[in-house]
Order: sequence, then structure tokens, then C-alpha cells
Amino acid sequence: MVKQMGDIQAENVEIEKKMREVARSLLIEKEVDVIIGYARGTVPLSSSPIFIKNVEDIDSLIWDNLCYVNLARYVVPPLTEFVDNEKVELKVGIVSKGCVARALIHLAKEKQVDPEKIKIIGIPCNGVVNRRRIEKELGEKEVLEISVSNDQVIVKGKDFEEVLPYQDYLNELCKTCKVKSPPMSSSLSDVIVGESIEISSVEDDFSDLSEYESKTPEEKWEVITELLSDCTRCYACREACPMCYCNLCFVDQNKPIWFGKTSEMSDIIVFHLVRAMHMAGRCVGCGACSSVCPMGIDLKLINRKLEKIVKERFDFTAGLSLDVMPPMMTQKMEDSEDFMLGEH
Amino acid sequence: MKEKILKKDQVKQLHEDLSRYYSFYAPTKVKGNIVFKKITNPEDIELEYLNSKIPPKEILFPRMETLFSYKIDEKNIEIEPRTDLEEKILIFGVRPCDAYSFSLLETFFNFGQFKDDLFMKKKENTVVIGLACNTPRATCFCTSLDYNGHPHRKDDVDIFLTDLGENYLVNPISETGKAIIDKLAWLSEANNDDLQKAEELSKKAESLISTKLDLQHTAEILDPSFNHPLWKEVSENCLGCGTCTFLCPTCTCFDVVEDVDHYNNRGKRVRIWDTCQFCLYTLETSGHNPRNTKIERCRNRVLHKFNYYPKNYDLIGCVGCGRCIHLCPVNNDLREIIKKINAIKNENKKEEVVVA
Repeated sequence: MVKQMGDIQAENVEIEKKMREVARSLLIEKEVDVIIGYARGTVPLSSSPIFIKNVEDIDSLIWDNLCYVNLARYVVPPLTEFVDNEKVELKVGIVSKGCVARALIHLAKEKQVDPEKIKIIGIPCNGVVNRRRIEKELGEKEVLEISVSNDQVIVKGKDFEEVLPYQDYLNELCKTCKVKSPPMSSSLSDVIVGESIEISSVEDDFSDLSEYESKTPEEKWEVITELLSDCTRCYACREACPMCYCNLCFVDQNKPIWFGKTSEMSDIIVFHLVRAMHMAGRCVGCGACSSVCPMGIDLKLINRKLEKIVKERFDFTAGLSLDVMPPMMTQKMEDSEDFMLGEH
Repeated sequence: MKEKILKKDQVKQLHEDLSRYYSFYAPTKVKGNIVFKKITNPEDIELEYLNSKIPPKEILFPRMETLFSYKIDEKNIEIEPRTDLEEKILIFGVRPCDAYSFSLLETFFNFGQFKDDLFMKKKENTVVIGLACNTPRATCFCTSLDYNGHPHRKDDVDIFLTDLGENYLVNPISETGKAIIDKLAWLSEANNDDLQKAEELSKKAESLISTKLDLQHTAEILDPSFNHPLWKEVSENCLGCGTCTFLCPTCTCFDVVEDVDHYNNRGKRVRIWDTCQFCLYTLETSGHNPRNTKIERCRNRVLHKFNYYPKNYDLIGCVGCGRCIHLCPVNNDLREIIKKINAIKNENKKEEVVVA
């Protein structure tokens, strides 16, 4: 079902206003020590995560359709500060669209985030613009201004103006997103402030995967190889991912070296696919990995496929509730293993 | 020697003539990104571009480069050195900022007692044909830099092209460049109108550079600012990825790894791009890491370019291409960092606080 589009710009102004109010009162009431949110970027097609400690700076917080970084990425390990020579863990308020809240909930399940130390400032996300696709399609025309109005993305440069349909130019994962606001459950009632929705299970037909799934294993391999062929191994995808919090990533292990570090296609693919294995039942579909990739590689195919496998085998969607045990953190005798060596 | 005119539809001819003698590299579009590749079909050359996503340094300092290969049998190791270093390289359509980056790279790779033979050999065999930048980005700041950076700077190339609309004005710069032009007898002569037009375009391009940075005192301000709270502030939202450094035309760091084929008893020793933004970069064998957090790593990138380079080579280690600015995933803007550094100076003056 496609949501009837209101005026997105007006929606954003409204969201921004409420978000600032909530954030301001959290700081004033000393419920949190710091607010993590988004600030306006200095270049078009960007936004910049910001850490706010003073109430006067609250108006730097923005919400628009370019708030693509998953802010949950900044709270593992927890933010700390030295007070009288002692390290104290800060209480953090985090501006959270659905996927940021889901990441925080999942991280809490993995005992990486203490729900007592965070406040989820819920906002009803209306999607993130696919900045890499816009860049690629405009080609060698520099974007100087971007705005969203009604159901259109308006992109301006020195001698041009392009009007693009908003629904088409969303991030691929936003197109299939079913959890726009933080998912509320009784165990989270103290944690979520602002907007939230009640949702305990996600219905999804994964029809976006049917084209890929109709391919032969050889063709699938070709698709994956082609998808990843431009990777420079800058690891922006990993660094932007809220679930990639390992102190030392498998690919950085060097005593001994487990995985090749060269830019041979085989090494690049091994990095991405082994990382994908670690994402199963954990990826919340925020699409940050795709938004930050300097080469414009979109990992949504891999992420959606993982989501589908986990949904089918374990009826689980990551980050919906604190009450459900994620499949990768538990074991049942009847767990099936047929996904392990299949040709996906 | 006089300037010539290359018609846009003659680029094909130029490619045909020069690719007989050189491996011909030029900007081309791969999946929406402009990158420099070896061109076999001149139709693939894309000269109407802002700047390449990956800088052309990739040709002389690739993201993965074999140092040597080896074969192992029972007791012997047979080393196979590189045999492709005699390759004549021609890089076509390089923007002036990236052309200058080759000089900076040479300064680094040819410095001191241990010179980088691989890089230097390739550099010696390389001809650079530059292309004036008529459409600088809003993030470009070459004119703020110490090398007399300019969107029409001609100093670092062998031949310099200016896009006049229908044609390219061809300026032979070096002796090598002149010799090449001599061989291309089919090029037509440029007239005064062409020269004047190029001059106008040069002025216009300069006026289009909107970012002006004061870099005059940055190096000395940085000297006592190693422990300034600024570094925590500017690194707060850094993700710790390698975008800014991997796509920087002047970054030179590499790691050396073994690429072993155990089944065939063969192997290669390769160097791959490395970056000071990664945790392994300074990790010592003992487990100690002198740059343990992103604060130190962010600081290092700025210090290396704006303090260590000036100290070591009397040059700023930046060409002003702006790639790190518009490609940073979290918009950690180098221009803002520079402004904050420069503000330290005023802070010192006002409050006479010694920062250390």
C-alpha cells in the first residue's frame, strides 16, 4: 500500500518542531546529558550527525529527507565523560526514526546498549532520499540545492533544475520499510518519547526479491560480483552500520590473517558476504550502508535477502521488541539448518 | 611553440595516434562514477566531467600493486620481479589540481634515503595531458593553496587543454609535450580569438571558486595545538571510514600483505592502500595503539597535510580538490575544520592562553 502523500516539506517542519521540543525538555529536565541528532550539512545531499549538550544549540537539530546516518551507531561503546577524574556513562537522547529505534532495541537485546541510559526521541520518518542515485543520474552536473515538496524532489544546480518523483527516489530500503516510527511495546514505555507506533510483527511479501530469486546460481553470482566490483574497501558501510560494533572486525584480524585484504574481486566479495552472514537477524534495514558508500554501491539486495531468510525460518524481524529473543542469540532443537549451504 | 586546436571529434584520432606508443588512460564513466581507466575504445572517454571520483593517482599508485611474485618448491624460492615497469603511460584529461598531486606524490615517494622505485619508474614513464577546469565545484579551493593553485594552472602537465566549446585549445608545456605535438601534424593552428577565449575562461573559472581558505598560518597554529579540545569536537561524528583518505589525491599510505596461493606454491607480495583512519594502522605488536580513538586519527589526517608536510617539505599536503568535503558520509567538512584551527590563533591572542 502506498501511503497517500501529504506535503512532505510541511510534514518535516512539523516533525522538526516537535522533535526540538522533546529534545529541549529532555535537556532542561536533565533526563539526558546529550542529544544526538542531525544538523544541516554544508554541502547539498548531506546531513551531519550532531551532539548537543547545551539547550541553546537545540535549534541546530533538523529533520529532512537526508537524515540518512543511523545514529544508533554512536552509542556503542557508550558515550562517557570524565567527572572529577571518574568516567561516567552519559545519558543520551537519540533522534530516532523507525530504523534507528529498531537498531537501539536490537543493540539492547545484544546487551550493547543499556535502555536505562537512553531516551529514544521518536519521529515518524517519511523516507530518506536516495542521494547516491540522484548523484549518479545527474551525472556531471553539480547539485547545489535540494528540496522536497509535495511528492517531488527538486534538485537545482547552476544551469538546471530537475523535478523527480519522491516515491521513486527514496532509498531502496525505505521503499519496503514497514516501521516508520519507533515500535512501542510496554517494556519500552519509559524509553520512547515523542512519536511511536504499536507493531509486533511485520507483514512482507518480499516481492522486490523475485527477480533476483528467479536467477540461476551462476547468474546470482554475476549479480553480486557486478554489484561489488567498484568497492574500494574504505569500509564506510561497516563503519556506518549500528550492528558493526566489534572491537576488531574479522577482516582486520591479523594474528593470523583470516581473510585476504587485497582488492582482488574474490577478497572483496568475501568481505561483503562474510559481513552479510554477521548481519542475519540483526540488520534493521536502515540503508545507512548504501547512503554512505562513496562509490554508490547499494547493499539492499543482500540485506533484503537476509531479512527474508530470517523471517521465513524464524519468523523474526530485528529490533521490534525487547521481549523477543533474536534467533542468533538462542538455540532450539528444532532450528532448521537448511539455509546454511543453500544456493541463495 | 604555437598553440594548436584539437576539434572535439578528433579526440578519437588523438587516441588512435597516441595509444600506439602509450597506454592511454582517460576519464571514463563506470556505473555512474568517473574514474581513470586504460582506454581501448575512444568512445568511452568522458571529458565533460567535474572531477573524477577516484583521483588519477590510482594509475601510478594503484589500490593494489604487486611488488614481486614468487614460486616455492621444496627448498628454493624463486623471485619473479615486475617486468611491466617499462610501460609508457599517458594520462589524458587530468584536472590541474590532480596534475599537481603527481608532483606532491613524487615529493613523498622520492624523498630521503629510501626512494620508491616502483612509483618513480612509472612517474618517469608518464606523460600528463591536463584539462582546464571550467566548472569548479562549490567545494573546490585550489586557489587558496600554496602552489599557486588555479583551475587553469598549466605547470604540472606536458600538454594542457582548454575546452573552448567546440574545440580544445592545445598548449604544449614541457619538451616531451612539444615533441608529441610535433608528431600530431594534423592539429590545426590556434588563432588569437582562441587564445583570448581561453584567457576569459581562465578568469571566469577563477571567479567561480567560492571557497577561500586562509592557510597562511595554519601550520604554525597547529604546532602547539596537539592536545586542543578542537580534535574531540571535530572527530565526534566521524565514522572512521577511509573515504577521505582513499579518495584523496595526495594520500600515500600503504600496507604490505602476502597474497598466497597455497595450492600452487606461489605467492605475491602486494601493497594495498591503507589509511590512518583505520584502527590497525598504528596498532603495535605489543597491542598498544598510540592512535587508539578517532580523535587521534582525525587529528593525524589534518596534521599530516597541514603541519607535517609543511615542516618536512615546505609544502602543504593538499591540492584543494574538495573530494574529502563532498564525499564524507557525515559531512565532516575540512573547510570548517580549517576555520576552527584558524580561530585558535585569535583565541590565543584574545585570552593569551597557551594551548598545549
